[in-house]
Amino acid sequence: MNIIMAALPILLQGLQVTLYIFVIAIILGFLLGLLMALLRLAPFKVLNLISKVYVDAIRGTPFIVQLFFIYFGVNSLHFISLNSTTAGIITVAINAGAYFAEIIRAGIQSIDKGQTEAARSIGLTGAQTMRYVVLPQAFRRMLPTITNQSIISLKDTSLLSVIGIADLTQQGQIQAAATFEAFKIWLAVGIIYFIVIYLLSILANFVERRFELR
Amino acid sequence: MSIITVKNLRKSFGSVEVLKDINAEIKEKEVVCVIGPSGSGKSTFLRCLNRLEEISGGHVIVNGHDITDSKININKVRQEVGMVFQSFNLFPHKTVLENITLGPIKVLSTAKDAAEKLAFELLDKVGLREKANSYPGELSGGQKQRVAIARALAMNPKIMLFDEPTSALDPEMVGDVLEVMKQLAKEGMTMVVVTHEMGFAREVGDRVIFMDGGYIVEENKPNELFSNPQHNRTKSFLSKVL
Repeated sequence: MNIIMAALPILLQGLQVTLYIFVIAIILGFLLGLLMALLRLAPFKVLNLISKVYVDAIRGTPFIVQLFFIYFGVNSLHFISLNSTTAGIITVAINAGAYFAEIIRAGIQSIDKGQTEAARSIGLTGAQTMRYVVLPQAFRRMLPTITNQSIISLKDTSLLSVIGIADLTQQGQIQAAATFEAFKIWLAVGIIYFIVIYLLSILANFVERRFELR
Repeated sequence: MSIITVKNLRKSFGSVEVLKDINAEIKEKEVVCVIGPSGSGKSTFLRCLNRLEEISGGHVIVNGHDITDSKININKVRQEVGMVFQSFNLFPHKTVLENITLGPIKVLSTAKDAAEKLAFELLDKVGLREKANSYPGELSGGQKQRVAIARALAMNPKIMLFDEPTSALDPEMVGDVLEVMKQLAKEGMTMVVVTHEMGFAREVGDRVIFMDGGYIVEENKPNELFSNPQHNRTKSFLSKVL
């Protein structure tokens, strides 16, 4: 217990980094996913193709390869220099964005065509119809899957430790090595992840209930 | 003076031609009922009048706008043409009041309180003031359809299109909806009503159009058409439904 208590402040520092990256990446990822879903549904073949290539490329490659590609690959070209945190955020965002794109596309397509027709028939533009009628309904249906993907992305951030980001997992590694108490330290790290994700799902449940269709 | 003119209208879904050379005129304040067997193209015809269906050929001129012209702002035209659907299509995430005020607020930029005042007047008209803060899921079918009518009227349209407005209703709900429509007709609204309610067509319609197989087979004053149909197809249809 003493060992865990001694390591805890450092682990919590790591958790801060994890959460910082997660929050920024998940917001960017959601916006990217929304954009890509709209491109996918737009009446222009070129836009559909951009979205499709993006989603297929991300879904078809491992996260760690994407991370190395952005951090080592892009940096090696020397036209831009990404620090590890930025590269980490970009990777998580781009990765989550592909899955969000599919979730959002499916959510939009699940809304009855009559809703769009009714909205258009009172003179709303396509964009207004999307914003006021389709997306609010689709969003409610998407919430459980959005929560799921957010949890997956949060756990994916632990892989960022391999490019030296001082996240929770990285701090766990350092503590485990320094104390020779791998069992206790990794148990503590696991519990911290679990608690954060548990709180996240409680929050998601709360939001879901708030937005429930009457 | 015609408020709607349809010239050589054609509409195909893929290789299936659903409307074949439709010509029709609808005058201001006229109530036109469109009847015919299912698959005759009557709903598609109606949906071409506000371009919910892309038009394959011919011209549809609504209130002076040729809506087949791709340069026309169709949203502007749709503001003048209300539509009521068989399946109501109320917005389930919005209250009755919000359903009605959405169009005025977002499309006409009406102030919120003015839009709500209008909404309450319309709810009075359809007899549902007390449901203003309910959600569509809490209403019966007949109530939903009356809200849908109020929602369309909130845009102050010149023309109202009804696509089988009572077909999805329990029989005891039909009367309330038809009553609202009769009232509307009395007030001089131009109405095009696709319907299976022959009683309504006879009583309220100024003219009845009978469609079959993508054509207008015949049209006439309701009494004439119902008591003295000219075409065999009309006769055989009427003998089945009357």
